[in-house]
Amino acid sequence: MREKKYQAEQRRLAVNRLRHKLRKFELVPTAGEAVPSGFEAIDACLSPHHGLLRGGLHEICAAKTGDFASASGFGAHLAAQFADGNAVVSGQTRQSVGEHGRPYALALPTVGLIRQQLIHINGADLPDLLWATEEALGCPAVGCVVLMSLEQAPDFTASRRLSMACRAVGRPLVLVLGAEAGQASTTATTRWQISAAPNNSWQVRLQRLRGSFERPPPMAGWQVFPWRETLPVSDDTVSDNTAPESASVHATAAYSS
Amino acid sequence: MPAEKRDMPFVLAEHQRGTQRLAAVNIAAEACGLHTGMALADARVLVPDMHIEMLDPARGAAALDKCARWLRRYTPWVGADTHPDSHGLLLDISGCAHLFGGERRMLDDMRARFNRRGITCCVAVADTIGSAWALAHYGPDSLIIAPSGHGADAVMDLPPGALRLPEDACDLCRRLGLDSVAALAAFPRTSLTRRFGPYPVMRLEQALGQAGEMLNPCVPAPEFIVRENLTQGITQLDVIASLTQNMCATLAAKLFTAGQGATRLDLVLTRADNEMQALSVRLAAPSAEADHLARLLATRLERMSRGFDAGCGVETLCLAASATANVITPQAPLTLGHKAFKAPPVAVLASLFDRLAGRLGPQVVVRPVVHASHIPEHAVGYRPVHAAPLSGEADDAGLSTATAPEPQMRPLFMLCAPEPIEVIAEIPEGAPYRFRWRRVLHEVARAQGPERISPEWWPSARRHNSLTRDYFRVEDRNGCRFWIYRDGLYGRETGRVRWFMHGMFP
Repeated sequence: MREKKYQAEQRRLAVNRLRHKLRKFELVPTAGEAVPSGFEAIDACLSPHHGLLRGGLHEICAAKTGDFASASGFGAHLAAQFADGNAVVSGQTRQSVGEHGRPYALALPTVGLIRQQLIHINGADLPDLLWATEEALGCPAVGCVVLMSLEQAPDFTASRRLSMACRAVGRPLVLVLGAEAGQASTTATTRWQISAAPNNSWQVRLQRLRGSFERPPPMAGWQVFPWRETLPVSDDTVSDNTAPESASVHATAAYSS
Repeated sequence: MPAEKRDMPFVLAEHQRGTQRLAAVNIAAEACGLHTGMALADARVLVPDMHIEMLDPARGAAALDKCARWLRRYTPWVGADTHPDSHGLLLDISGCAHLFGGERRMLDDMRARFNRRGITCCVAVADTIGSAWALAHYGPDSLIIAPSGHGADAVMDLPPGALRLPEDACDLCRRLGLDSVAALAAFPRTSLTRRFGPYPVMRLEQALGQAGEMLNPCVPAPEFIVRENLTQGITQLDVIASLTQNMCATLAAKLFTAGQGATRLDLVLTRADNEMQALSVRLAAPSAEADHLARLLATRLERMSRGFDAGCGVETLCLAASATANVITPQAPLTLGHKAFKAPPVAVLASLFDRLAGRLGPQVVVRPVVHASHIPEHAVGYRPVHAAPLSGEADDAGLSTATAPEPQMRPLFMLCAPEPIEVIAEIPEGAPYRFRWRRVLHEVARAQGPERISPEWWPSARRHNSLTRDYFRVEDRNGCRFWIYRDGLYGRETGRVRWFMHGMFP
């Protein structure tokens, strides 16, 4: 009798251990690890905790060449959400500094960042930048790392390595990719496509969401007005998305202008 | 002095008793008949086109100090000459000369290197500081090596001034008819002391080797230093790296017990053939953590490995904390101005900065700073993390928030330099209709502006082209937003206005 009880207990513990191990692979956020994106309509789609996984790699792609600034803006906004007042390390490749310039400190409040938060890596080679990213992710004082303006996406190995680093330390990496970077296969937790839309807005499309769904992730799209109250939008702005609930969802204003 | 000026007459002048006199002349000036002590006005008459500079003792001392540091390649023991009128350096070369193939070769090498830099020098080697000084200043040749044990004989024929005597003592010698050191040395010491006082006698005895004299090195030896001498030269860099790690632990322990943290580390690798390789690491905040120091050095060693030539093997490793500071745990500021920004744990961030700057270069890892300027590209700059205060707050001094532009009015990305664009716009001051940037045509759907920014009329270190700019925020038909400006007011400042792209809005 006691023997049986002991075996049952052992089984229970083993199953618990396995569950715990599995959870590490599954990338299911626990409630504390999810961070709201700052837009209610988007959060509603990010089940189960209505937020983005903190220990994950989040990829933001510009839809076209000219959309890079918007993609960076969205990326910086997410970084501000993640960092929650802690330091943000941002990095740019040398090529992107030449092409897009550098973040302008006086405009950082528009995306929710404060100048004092920012530590910038001003033009480095991609391998050096990836190394720096890993170093920064390991630093407890850093709230978020954002790599802006990579014309070239890190390859699958690098992406996997960064994902693992994020998961291990529970700190997010936001990767902003230019339109030229293309659709490389990645291990990102979420992947967003951003394009600039008229009337000072962004068109945001969620292309991929790992892990957390019972049902397959919807190809959701929104038109987001980050700086003012919802404005009337013509209906054809987000026409080709398949998600039934998100034909033209207006996000609430995140900042008062 | 620049090389092209070396052959020109060049003099240093100084104020002396109400007139300007020459304090030093170069060879070319000497050839023209100028000499030290001449009135500058007379010299000007003789050589009208000479180059004149005022004597700056501080600069001279700094240059001499630099020289002393450089001379440490010959011996670690280099001291400044204490004689007021002398600009010499004293080197203790005991046990060093054989490394350069003997005293003669060492001096030849030294002189050749000085000459290559355009510096003439007189060198002398002798048993005592006093006799070497005498030979260098009063000797018959510009390179003298007194045979060992005969330094005293060599100075006997020199005038008494060679003994580093003060002015009045020299005068007294002249009046007494003592025209050489030998004459002075022949007197009994007691009567000399009665006549001259104790100081000249001490100088005499020092020159003759009868009294001791110490040499004070002018480059202070670093307090925190770890040296590793190896019996066998090592060529593998990873072995060096692991040795460095151990040395870091020792150094960190030394620093810790003194309550200090290193802000600069110097590692000098000396090869068996006496070639040296040095690397130095700067730290954002003083640190006495062995692991952190070792990681920084490892990064630098790794980078050095490309250009590293171990040759016949590294024999000596010397790790020094050449700059240190008290390790203080700063108090968190009560207010930081912005409610959301949490004060970062300084030490943690500093160690990250060190590692990043160590690999990427100190100019690459930067923090934004704001300057009090309304010219957009001057209002914001980036400063290396090692130069900027860690809290990031002190740079706001003198910047009023009232004049700061609304964040929405400024682009998130600003180009490194404004790029010219072709614009179709209403003349003279209308908003643009369409523009071409990087060969892409953008149709303007909306435009807001102008925001007029006038040039800074006051004298400023940062001058720009000094035309008025009219900035427009424009949105093209795709929704991409740009910040463009018209350079110059049409008709008033320029006949043909030009347009520039300056940034992108998110």
